[in-house]
Amino acid sequence: MKTGKEFIKTIFFVELIKGMAFTLKTLLFTPPVTRRYPNKVKVPAQPGFRGLHALAKNEEGKMKCVGCGLCGAYCPSKCIYIYTSEGEDHTKVVDRYEIETPRCIYCGFCVEACPFGAITLSEHYEYSTYSRDSLYMTKDKLLENWDKYFAGEKGKRYFRDFWRPKTTDFKGYEGQAMFKGNKNEK
Amino acid sequence: MITISINGKEIRLEKPMTVLEAARSAGIKIPTLCWHEQLEKYGGCRLCLVEVEKMPRLQTACTLMVADGMVIRTETGRIADVRRGILEFLLINHPLDCPYCDKAGECDLQDLVEKYGPVTGRFKEKKRKVPESLEDPVIVRNMERCIVCTRCVRMCEGVQGASAIAVIDRGGHSHIEPFSGGRFDCEYCGNCVSVCPVGAIMSKLHRHSYRPWQLVDEVETICPYCGVGCTLVVQVRDDVIKRVVPKLGTVVNNGLLCSRGRFGYEFVGSKERLTKPLIRIASKTHDASRVTHNEIFREATWEEAISFVAKKLEEIKDKYGSDSIAGIASPRCTNEDNYIFQKFMRTAIGTNNIDSTARTGFAGAQNFIENIFGQGATANIIPGLSNSDSVLVIGGDPTAINPILGLQIRACSRKGGNILTIGKVKGLRFFNPVSLKPVLYTETVLLEGIVTALRERIGLPGSNPNLEAGIKDINISDGEIEKTCGIKGNDFTMFMKILSESSTPSIVIGKELVQSNSGNYKLLLIAAINYLINGRIYLLSERANEQGLLDMGCAPDLLPGYRPLTFAEFRRKYENSWKTSIPDKVGFSIFEMMDAAKEGSLKALYVMGENPVFNLPDARSVEAAMKNIDFLVVQDIFLTETARLADVVFPALSWSEKDGTFTNMERRIQRLRKAVHREGMEDWRIISEVSKHMGVPLNYSNPEDIFNEVSKVSPLHRDMTYEDIEKGEAVYPYKGEPLRGVSEEIKFQVPSSKFQVSDKKLYLKLERPLFHSGTLSTKAPALVNIYPEAMARISPDTAKSLSLGDGDIVRVSTKIGSLELPVSVDKELDNSSVLLSNNFEGKGAFSLMEYTLDSVTKAPCIDYNEARIEKVNI
Ligand code: SF4
Ligand code: SF4
Ligand code: SF4
Ligand code: SF4
Ligand code: SF4
Ligand code: FES
Repeated sequence: MKTGKEFIKTIFFVELIKGMAFTLKTLLFTPPVTRRYPNKVKVPAQPGFRGLHALAKNEEGKMKCVGCGLCGAYCPSKCIYIYTSEGEDHTKVVDRYEIETPRCIYCGFCVEACPFGAITLSEHYEYSTYSRDSLYMTKDKLLENWDKYFAGEKGKRYFRDFWRPKTTDFKGYEGQAMFKGNKNEK
Repeated sequence: MITISINGKEIRLEKPMTVLEAARSAGIKIPTLCWHEQLEKYGGCRLCLVEVEKMPRLQTACTLMVADGMVIRTETGRIADVRRGILEFLLINHPLDCPYCDKAGECDLQDLVEKYGPVTGRFKEKKRKVPESLEDPVIVRNMERCIVCTRCVRMCEGVQGASAIAVIDRGGHSHIEPFSGGRFDCEYCGNCVSVCPVGAIMSKLHRHSYRPWQLVDEVETICPYCGVGCTLVVQVRDDVIKRVVPKLGTVVNNGLLCSRGRFGYEFVGSKERLTKPLIRIASKTHDASRVTHNEIFREATWEEAISFVAKKLEEIKDKYGSDSIAGIASPRCTNEDNYIFQKFMRTAIGTNNIDSTARTGFAGAQNFIENIFGQGATANIIPGLSNSDSVLVIGGDPTAINPILGLQIRACSRKGGNILTIGKVKGLRFFNPVSLKPVLYTETVLLEGIVTALRERIGLPGSNPNLEAGIKDINISDGEIEKTCGIKGNDFTMFMKILSESSTPSIVIGKELVQSNSGNYKLLLIAAINYLINGRIYLLSERANEQGLLDMGCAPDLLPGYRPLTFAEFRRKYENSWKTSIPDKVGFSIFEMMDAAKEGSLKALYVMGENPVFNLPDARSVEAAMKNIDFLVVQDIFLTETARLADVVFPALSWSEKDGTFTNMERRIQRLRKAVHREGMEDWRIISEVSKHMGVPLNYSNPEDIFNEVSKVSPLHRDMTYEDIEKGEAVYPYKGEPLRGVSEEIKFQVPSSKFQVSDKKLYLKLERPLFHSGTLSTKAPALVNIYPEAMARISPDTAKSLSLGDGDIVRVSTKIGSLELPVSVDKELDNSSVLLSNNFEGKGAFSLMEYTLDSVTKAPCIDYNEARIEKVNI
């Protein structure tokens, strides 16, 4: 049962009027918080932002990826396609490495899964276009992305500060075994 | 009853077994590495350690037998510590190159380390480095990864029986050697590949092009090569077959395969495959081998080619009558294809001129044996062989012709059974055979001697008077055998002792026997031996569906279900169900077709999935006959020698691109399943299209439809469905009625004169290699890598007398032709033979072999071709 006071409030729309007044006040007397993107305001992504993918290159400028397929296996939206074959010298060659970015959810699992730190997510996020095809990342495009978005110090910092692949300092549950790389390699 | 408790769960067991087996039967998983259900127990890896109450030390579950009242724990802290330790030791030398290793994802070591392994290793020294070896044609070895579980060695020695590998060196240097090149040759079965728990031994095929979890499409189907009918699992990625693996628990091959089945699948994706129908533009007198196929044919649309064929066949039928047309069916095509083909020939064309290359041995021999023992006499279960107490092998090497059947014979020997061989059986030479090797052309005498001795030892049982009438007068004494066949008396006595005393004997008959002089008489003698010892007969079958094609009625004298055409009653039944009339005249056999073609009375020939120009003896005259045919239609997957002579060539879908059924040599019907897609039509569909254009519609929408009709009309397959086949219930005698107890009078011919042989002469013999089957396998690069080219095999003595060595080029010539080939010296060979295979294009033994037809089995006898060898100087 409503009290008399509440009853009066309801009849005279007191709450409604209060709300409207607040709206009006905000509308007229506070500055807008909307950022005028992309024409006026452009805030750079913070380091570690998960944007467009890139395939890392090593010091010699060669692709780091060996085509182990772990990123693709781990990817929750299954948008990474990897095709490998046996090369001339019988080693494994990555023929195609493709990411269907429209389906990517930028979870970063691929980055974590990679034992070599070969797949990365750059800070670049502005790549909306009018065609789907250009959103389909091929191996060449992904390698290009590395040069574009991780050139020089940036790449190094990326690995130092942010995406540390599971294999270097991951702590699993107690007793879990993991691949720690081969310390005495070659 | 034994009661034990594992992890607090009470388990009651009927019979003694190991703790591991008991745990598995109760669904408790114990980790293992060296144990494998197909192999002998080893107890080497110690990963399966369990705690047993009242036993102070941990015990290996895979070797410990259960005892009543045992209390076992499989996962305790103590066990975990030990397992962690073992895995840490294994990882000391294991490279941990999982990202590159093709095994990752299905590697036992990876899984176990993930579950039980140490967090990090404490071992600081360098790991061993062994370069990967790619020397073998189909196997890659990476001995860094080997954990010395010896599964591969136990597989190779104890199951495959090749003993090609062993653990070499000790401790951290242990590795597995030598595969090929050792004293015992690797048979490239790849069974070691299936059991290796890590990536130490792997297949070279499609290496690095897939990860196990990417092989999402998996299809269970039947091997396309031989009559054993092994179940294969075809694994596909993006419509390309990436690998073929066996499956544990399948009836015929239970987790094993031979080199052809495992490594021979690549022909499917061959670039040489036909894609479009072809119509001839060049004249027939062209030497087809000299010109490219663009000069002989033009590409046509399906519609055009089909209506053209239909029109031409109609014309020929109207002008020269139905019997001027003939058809050759295929032992590589499914039952459904073959059923439709014979129905097409019998209804749309109206002739019984239909036959196949099964006529070159299998059909005649089976018919002969069934006439004596009743239908189904050769339908014996293959795994049963290993339970025989003796196996008699004659007329071929089962370990090369039907390798998985051969393994059963080896298993029989291992279980203590006796192996008896007549003639050279290379694949069984290490299995303690009692081997009789009669001098050339004296096999008949030896067999007569065996029959005589058995008759004396066992006596005639009297149940088959017909057969007994045939053998009662045979009388060859031991002395005569020694004199004529050059067999020592002792050997013969031992042989006879084993044979006559065995209670569950089996007899394995190869085609060589059927294709030799007086083959029918030898078959009679073998039948008599079988009768006297009460054995089971296995007839080796070189093609996947040789049996099925006969069951489907692709024979000039048989209707589907093995019903003789000459019985009006049977004919009427088929006429009623097909609603048409069937000619009553028995048609041409495949050899009669060739004769008719030569003399010009055969005007048209329809060849489905067969290559008679290559696969029939005296190939050159077959070629001449084919050229003499007005209208030749060939349906195949490659442009074969025969297809090159055709007027119209239809490209067909191959083995893994279609559905259907195969019937193996034990008469088990099994499902063939489509694994990859390809544009085009199945053989049966092409034929029904042609038939439709001829005004005789054969309306089926899929192979199951066809099979349902078969099970309606063929009394042998009555009421059988695809469902029964899937359930594995399609084993002879099925649900229908075989024609048992047909006891016609036994026809045979006692050879009148014995062949005169001189030691000086060489005879050309057919080699039936393990790594090839017909020409199909030569389109599979892996098999070609193993066995790359045709070779003339001669004995060391022959080689010496002609001063020849391995690799020298010689000219092998017979009366009808000659070939230039490299020589290979074969220690096992006798001095009177030159072996040549019939697999490689342009180098087939059949192009040098004349034949005479056996008067009863109608099989070609090809063992009398004298050959000369001379060195070619280059
Ligand atoms: S970020 Fe996540 S969704 Fe996107 S590709 Fe990587 S794993 Fe897949
Ligand atoms: S996980 Fe890394 S190395 Fe493996 S395929 Fe993906 S990007 Fe390449
Ligand atoms: S392939 Fe077969 S024969 Fe060769 S080593 Fe392996 S198991 Fe032995
Ligand atoms: S090669 Fe494989 S199967 Fe053989 S011993 Fe080594 S790990 Fe075991
Ligand atoms: S034994 Fe015959 S059916 Fe089995 S895998 Fe070998 S070729 Fe195929
Ligand atoms: S599985 Fe028992 S010791 Fe290896």
